[in-house]
Amino acid sequence: MKFSRRSVLRGAIHGATIGMALPALDMFLNDNGVAYADGAKLPTRFGTYFWGLGLTPGRWVPAKAGTGWELTPELASLQGLENKVSIFSGFRVHLDGRPNLQHWTGQAAILCGIAAQRLGAFDLPSFDTAVAAQMGGGTRFRSVQITPFGNPKLSYSTDSGTSFNTPDATPLALYTRLFGEGFQDPNSDIWKPDPNVILRRSVLSAVSEQRKALMAAAPSSDRAKLDQYFTSVRTMEEQLAVELQRPAKAEACMVPKAPPESRPSGRIDVVNANNKLMADLMAMALACNQTKVFSVVHTSATSEAYLAGDSSIYHLHTHDEPLDDKLGYQVISSKLAELAFHGYSDFLRALDSVKEGDATLLDHSLVMGFSDTGYAKIHSTDNIPMFFGGGAGGRHKMGQHVVGNGDPVSRVSLTAQQLIGLPVGEFGVGGMKTSKTISEVVSA
Amino acid sequence: MSKRPRRLGRYAAFLLLAALPGFAATAAAHATRQPALAPAPLISATRRLTESEYRHSIDTLFGPDIVVNGRFEPERREQGLLAIGASLLSISASGFEQYYAIAKRISDQVLDDKHRARFAICKPGNPGGKDDACSEVFIRQYGRLLFRRPLRQDEIAGRVKLAAEGAEQARDYNAGLKLALTSLLTAPDFLFRVEVLEPDPAHQGAMRLDGYSRAARLSYLLWDTTPDEALLEAAARGDLQTDAGIEQQADRLLASPALEAGLRAFFSDMLEFDLIDVVTKDPQIYPKFSQEIAASSREETLRMLMNELLVRNSPYLDIFTTRTTYLNRALASIYQVPFVAADAWTPYTFPDTSDRSGILTDFSFLGVFSHPGRSSPTKRGAALREVFLCQPTPQPPANVDFSIVNDTKNPSLKTVRARLLAHAEDETCAGCHNKTDPLGLSLERFDSLGQHRTSENGDLIDVSAELDGKKFAGTQGLGALLRANPKVPACLVRDIYAYGVGHAPGADDKPYLQTQADAFVADNYRVKALLRRIVVSPTFFAPSPAAADNPPARTSAAGKALISANNTHQESRQRSPTR
Repeated sequence: MKFSRRSVLRGAIHGATIGMALPALDMFLNDNGVAYADGAKLPTRFGTYFWGLGLTPGRWVPAKAGTGWELTPELASLQGLENKVSIFSGFRVHLDGRPNLQHWTGQAAILCGIAAQRLGAFDLPSFDTAVAAQMGGGTRFRSVQITPFGNPKLSYSTDSGTSFNTPDATPLALYTRLFGEGFQDPNSDIWKPDPNVILRRSVLSAVSEQRKALMAAAPSSDRAKLDQYFTSVRTMEEQLAVELQRPAKAEACMVPKAPPESRPSGRIDVVNANNKLMADLMAMALACNQTKVFSVVHTSATSEAYLAGDSSIYHLHTHDEPLDDKLGYQVISSKLAELAFHGYSDFLRALDSVKEGDATLLDHSLVMGFSDTGYAKIHSTDNIPMFFGGGAGGRHKMGQHVVGNGDPVSRVSLTAQQLIGLPVGEFGVGGMKTSKTISEVVSA
Repeated sequence: MSKRPRRLGRYAAFLLLAALPGFAATAAAHATRQPALAPAPLISATRRLTESEYRHSIDTLFGPDIVVNGRFEPERREQGLLAIGASLLSISASGFEQYYAIAKRISDQVLDDKHRARFAICKPGNPGGKDDACSEVFIRQYGRLLFRRPLRQDEIAGRVKLAAEGAEQARDYNAGLKLALTSLLTAPDFLFRVEVLEPDPAHQGAMRLDGYSRAARLSYLLWDTTPDEALLEAAARGDLQTDAGIEQQADRLLASPALEAGLRAFFSDMLEFDLIDVVTKDPQIYPKFSQEIAASSREETLRMLMNELLVRNSPYLDIFTTRTTYLNRALASIYQVPFVAADAWTPYTFPDTSDRSGILTDFSFLGVFSHPGRSSPTKRGAALREVFLCQPTPQPPANVDFSIVNDTKNPSLKTVRARLLAHAEDETCAGCHNKTDPLGLSLERFDSLGQHRTSENGDLIDVSAELDGKKFAGTQGLGALLRANPKVPACLVRDIYAYGVGHAPGADDKPYLQTQADAFVADNYRVKALLRRIVVSPTFFAPSPAAADNPPARTSAAGKALISANNTHQESRQRSPTR
């Protein structure tokens, strides 16, 4: 049984296809596509970081474009990271005649390059799974999904568009998965292959043997589901193959201690505290080579986060709260936006605090931060805030503010894929289809 | 009530292929070499096992002391039910990792020193090594119960080999068998309910559901678990292709105490009890709230439902008006009544003056369809329509400026009620809010925690409302309104049917559902009798309409509206800005 990368990278629904395996731009890759033309190693980590309800117009976009942009009220938490983050303002979703599905269209368009047809599903796989398929090999987990919000349904990462990868929803659950049973300390001097791992692989082989018979008998709709199931089995087989190899030493890896058990809560300060714990765990997961790809959902697109003691929730505030007469914006909503964005800054800071060689983990990563709306009050998908954090191994020319002037958000997604070394020449469908790299953030 | 037999349609190509000489020759070669290898069955549908079905299946097969411990892949509500969503879901990579871990823990327990004897249907000659004959007995027996059909020879052989490898490596027969059991528990044939077709001899060229798929439909609807030995035998004999055979099995299942598990699972799905697991309250506003209260409220409602619908065989409509419920200590505190019972749970009848009215005033409804810090008439109203009337509420338009009607500084709009009623004057909002808010406003004497109150911020709460020209007041008025609404029984009929067959009813199903609803009303709303009428009807065993026969409506405006409405049903509770 063999799964071609193309079958993973390519979602075909209603006859619409998205070609992701196109030749990379020459400016990026050398002849064999495994290293940059200048010989530098490919950056090895990629993450997406989503928070719900966007940011407030007039409160986040810096006045200055290019480098040297100033901190704005809602971006205040980036202080000290200005030189490691690029900002994308003015990019928008092209609906191509599709409805604006509230709190759904934005993230679908950014992750898949096409506005979704229906709520609850994407038309195509989210591109982080293509990244994971491409560069997630060689680690225990092809990718890891997390949410500090505590709701195990919060994930926008999907290989199929319909089944979403289950996130770990508490710090302890994440710790157990990453550093519990099956974890091997890469820096330990004692190592021998676990014979049980070989047997576990045999269990999976017995399962995958049924693939052909089932697939042949299934109608097309079920075939797609079964294909996803068998791909998941295959992913785990690959994971076990990794466990049979002696892990390479990882200088920055310090096996963390188990975090305390915590109750899920929507209170924004609790969410952010869990976010910090999970950021530290994820930083070590990356440093210890347990995974190279991750997706974070800080809060859902209809965020039920709330300020302690407030009887309303963030989502309701964005719709209910009147503009302040004097200030001209929604005061509580803006406060919550600032706190939600704080989650992203904290996450970057956690990666930046880990030294790897003469740089930091953040310098070797690219974390794309984004939201679902540009103005939650009216569900606008114009000017959705998007960010790149981290150096992508030197490929990201950090510290830029790029003004999109209504260009599709897919340009940002395309550029992210290219910065981390995917051989992708274009991304998106219809009006979102683009081959225009945002060259301002690409190191010469 | 009979349904048109399914036409060949998309199977024509397969049958054509089967008629080709080459195909036949290959099949014949297979047959000579391996007589037990039947041609691949035709699949009608695959339905991912719900967490509830998974847990109950393990419980049935291995006993309640085998702990199912792990995180299940989240389910998805589609058109009102998780059971419909289950037909659309697959298993993601991280989900499979978890299913594997759960399976391994089950195998380790089933075959450990403590439990092994119970399942040792064959004693190995050499406990310190492999015993193919013995492991085959185990795999054949438990494979049949887990896959809900006999295993094919190739499915057995692969696992016998696996058991041998494991036994030899660990020098332990049981270590090998654990691997074989894990592979059964992680197989698609267990994790998905695979519904299989066979030619229908009564209608040439048509296909029908095979006996094992029928057995599973009966068993999962009525017992929420895998078919037992008697059902599998009935399927093997062909009994489930006859009315008499189906009736016999249906009556047996309906008479069993296991019916309670089936009904609990159904109502947990219909009433959206999955939301109970994620409900949160702001501890600063509701310091009394705990997860124990949330979990207890699920049990409270289920106990009430079982008492009314199973034990007393009361009319379904009574669940909206009964004042008798079940309390434990945690619930007594939020319902503000003393708890003096020695048992953990005790029946309790609220006084007439309490405003309590059946399921409508349980925390499992009032608390779940509220915000963390306050009640929400719109959420409650929308949920009432969606859950009990099968009427999804569309999403609000994308670009409405809500602050116009929610300006708290407006001196004439001080209260929630006043601000909500302002929607009625805004044309864009009125269409939906006039349908949801009155229902919810009648429940305003209960806060986000389900605690009774008569005033809010010093003002008396007005619970009068008007819906479709009918005036009513408070919970009891709402209960009476629901009792009089013919959509209430029709919705239950629709939900039970859709839950059982795993897909949303189509236009073809309308006459059938109407006939069923009429019979339900004529029979004074007895749920057990309704279940029986549904499971003995041929329509209940019709193959699922495949995607090819039923492309998603995406061209016509009506189709779009339908999709949008249905999606709203799925997402609205989390996604639309219900106030």
